[in-house]
Amino acid sequence: MLDDAAIPAGAELDRLILAIAATGDRQAFAHLFKHFAPRLKAFLLKSGMPPGAAEEIAQETMLAVWRKASYFDPERAGASTWIFTICRNLRIDHLRRDRGVFVSDEAIPEEADESPDGEQLFMAAEREAEVRRALQGLSAEQAAVVRLSFFNDKAHSEIASELGLPLGTVKSRVRLALNRLRTLLDEQK
Amino acid sequence: MTIRHHPSDETLLRYAAGRLAPAPGRVVATHLHGCPACRERVRVFEAVGGAVLDGMSPVPVVPHALARALAAIDAGPAGRATSLEGSSTPAHGAARTAPPLLPDGIVLPAPLRDCAMGPWRWAGFGVRASALTLPEDPKASLLLLRVAPGRRLPEHGHSGLEFTQILSGSFSDAFGRYQPGDLTEMGAEVEHQPVVDPDGPCICLTALEGGVLFTGSIGRLIQPFLRL
Repeated sequence: MLDDAAIPAGAELDRLILAIAATGDRQAFAHLFKHFAPRLKAFLLKSGMPPGAAEEIAQETMLAVWRKASYFDPERAGASTWIFTICRNLRIDHLRRDRGVFVSDEAIPEEADESPDGEQLFMAAEREAEVRRALQGLSAEQAAVVRLSFFNDKAHSEIASELGLPLGTVKSRVRLALNRLRTLLDEQK
Repeated sequence: MTIRHHPSDETLLRYAAGRLAPAPGRVVATHLHGCPACRERVRVFEAVGGAVLDGMSPVPVVPHALARALAAIDAGPAGRATSLEGSSTPAHGAARTAPPLLPDGIVLPAPLRDCAMGPWRWAGFGVRASALTLPEDPKASLLLLRVAPGRRLPEHGHSGLEFTQILSGSFSDAFGRYQPGDLTEMGAEVEHQPVVDPDGPCICLTALEGGVLFTGSIGRLIQPFLRL
């Protein structure tokens, strides 16, 4: 059942979280864990976290997925996006604790999502499909620039050293990559 | 309220990635509170984050990670959240007493209500300033500025990005006119000279990225308010 080779599709991942919410399905959790925990760890390592901390935040993220499963709404965000935002918040929380500032988990904004009723929300599945198509439309370098923005605080200078480019060049490449992404997204509308 | 000036895609991406420092993050959060279009952009960038996460090459976790997680679930005091406890949204300490008033009867925006507001002090050039203290980063510099009608601030630059969200009133500079709900993002390379429109004072929320300095004479008046 827990075959690493079988990568579940987005809708399947959504269904696993819904199964946890509905019945506390541990088998569903195990599937999710197999898929996400190693990717969360990779993501956090790439973000510059030491291995121990990356392991810990990946674990905390998965536990939060279990606890908060009933808040998962596939019409607002797909499984990967939802889990990404949980991990993002826990990482920020972890860095604050390291600096001696304690802010409880619940005090961290989940996201600035205060959409009043009636706000025209794009369906999450549609948004995610569009985003993935648009990312595939970027050149390899543009995709790398966008990806690296998720891993580096001092986005420009670190992207510059990683790609071996002058700082000024990186600034304009980040802008160009994001303009291209926006164009690709707009074209799908 | 028509919003004409928005954060750059780069800033919204960094916000979605959790990579914006606390003070600029609060300025952006204040903008998002009033801007559905930018909230949707942030959701798009969060979906990019989801795609990046999905595309990572897996790194093995420790051998008994899943067993440990399942044990923690069994032992966990919270179990699955079934009530509204921990529900996501009213994040910024919404359920408080009456929100603090700014000068001119303006209410402190919801995304700032868990911040402590310092006393309003004269800074010169028709400017009064109040420092906000962020619970998540007490050393961060986030300022409320109130500039008197018609005042022209000295031309200035900054050594990092400056983020300013207009809460009331309006001002103009060589790049445009900014009204409530607008966010201006001024790059380090840019010098600008804001002039408050004559019909009323302008209250704005402003943060500089990094421990950076205003240049020019405005530096001397604003610097004492920054915890640098």
